[in-house]
Amino acid sequence: MRRNTPLITLLTGAALGVILLAASMLATPSGKPASYSAAATAATSAPAPATSVPAPATSAPASAAGSSPASPGPSSPSPAAPSPTTVTTSPVKATYAGRVGGGGGSVAVSIHGSQAIAYVCNGSTVEAWFKGTAVNGVLIMTGKNHSHFSAIYDFGKVTGDVLAHGTDYSFSVPVVSKPSGLYRATAVVRGATIKAGWIVLSDGTQVGSVEPSSTSPAPTAFEAPALDVATGTARDGNIVLHAVAVDGATGSGF
Amino acid sequence: MTTRQDALPPARANSTTAMLVVPCLIGALVALALGIYGKVHHPTGIAINIAGFSSPGSVKSWLATGATVFAIIQVGSALVMYGKIPRVTAPDWIGGLHRWSGRIAFLLAVPVAIHCLYALGFQQYSTRVLVHSLLGCAFFGAFTVKMLILPKRGLPGWVLPVVGAVVFTALVVVWFTSAYWFFSTFGIKR
Repeated sequence: MRRNTPLITLLTGAALGVILLAASMLATPSGKPASYSAAATAATSAPAPATSVPAPATSAPASAAGSSPASPGPSSPSPAAPSPTTVTTSPVKATYAGRVGGGGGSVAVSIHGSQAIAYVCNGSTVEAWFKGTAVNGVLIMTGKNHSHFSAIYDFGKVTGDVLAHGTDYSFSVPVVSKPSGLYRATAVVRGATIKAGWIVLSDGTQVGSVEPSSTSPAPTAFEAPALDVATGTARDGNIVLHAVAVDGATGSGF
Repeated sequence: MTTRQDALPPARANSTTAMLVVPCLIGALVALALGIYGKVHHPTGIAINIAGFSSPGSVKSWLATGATVFAIIQVGSALVMYGKIPRVTAPDWIGGLHRWSGRIAFLLAVPVAIHCLYALGFQQYSTRVLVHSLLGCAFFGAFTVKMLILPKRGLPGWVLPVVGAVVFTALVVVWFTSAYWFFSTFGIKR
């Protein structure tokens, strides 16, 4: 009897794991970016919260308490509104920017619905663009040359880490509003496509880099000319770059 | 039934190997299965969660911290049981403390692992994350080995302490590469 107890422990843990896994699967509608705590993604597709799943009554209490009152979605619930147990946990349309840990550069993230674009840049050779998904508080993005970006986000900030040019940066950056944020410009100069990015922080400081040719396998970036956020232009000699805001709130640049 | 095992005859050493080989293989399979699942399953970003916390990350960090605290009790109670703490004689409840702290630590770790595997997957984009992914899988393999060899009689005295130390070390590194990182990046919050 006594000798069986370790096995019982093991099997109890395994059973707990299987139950939680099954509950997670039930809570994840297949093929949809919707989520257990529902409304987050439903809010993107505006007035159709009918897609949100009623919380499976058997599984643990509803998720992530942030359960913030400041839902970015329509605040007036439609008749088919989700049950009170479903909570909106994630902002769906916002832009975040700030310095990475250690201050060696800046990072900006724009989340528009379930899509996200991020840029990390040190105003010189280290810069990388990322594209990926934002689902219920988790950002998973990839970029060129094995660069990775993963973070969790809430209404106030995005926290995570990013690997670019072999360097691992950790960051926790707040929401910003225009004219702070992320800007991108592409232009064809002497037959080569260049791609520039700028991150404008809430204190007005900016960093920007230019990828000389986005088609070359490992372009060496260099410092971008200063961006005039009022006009959205940056001038480098006789070349004028017209920047577009990559704005989570409006979806511009997505 | 236990005889002194200090001077092992060769035949005995062989039977030790035989007793360890199956548990170790099963443990390895557990670790491998978790890793493969984490790699193959497309991370969903979400899983079921517990109310009252600000984010899945903080839930997991607190659960993992709880597991680590109970794991420290494990090591402490084991040291007492083995008489390694000077001037402390093992009270009769120490075995119960050891068993229950271990069970609680394990059961706290399971939901964290499920969330990791289901929502985030096996990742390798940074050293921290790679170490965490590898040792997270290895922890459950090592724990399985420990549970499987615990009932066996006649093992040399060093086996359980060594396996226990591997389990504990794996858990602490897993905690350090996740919860510690989380708290030091976000601040300690609920």
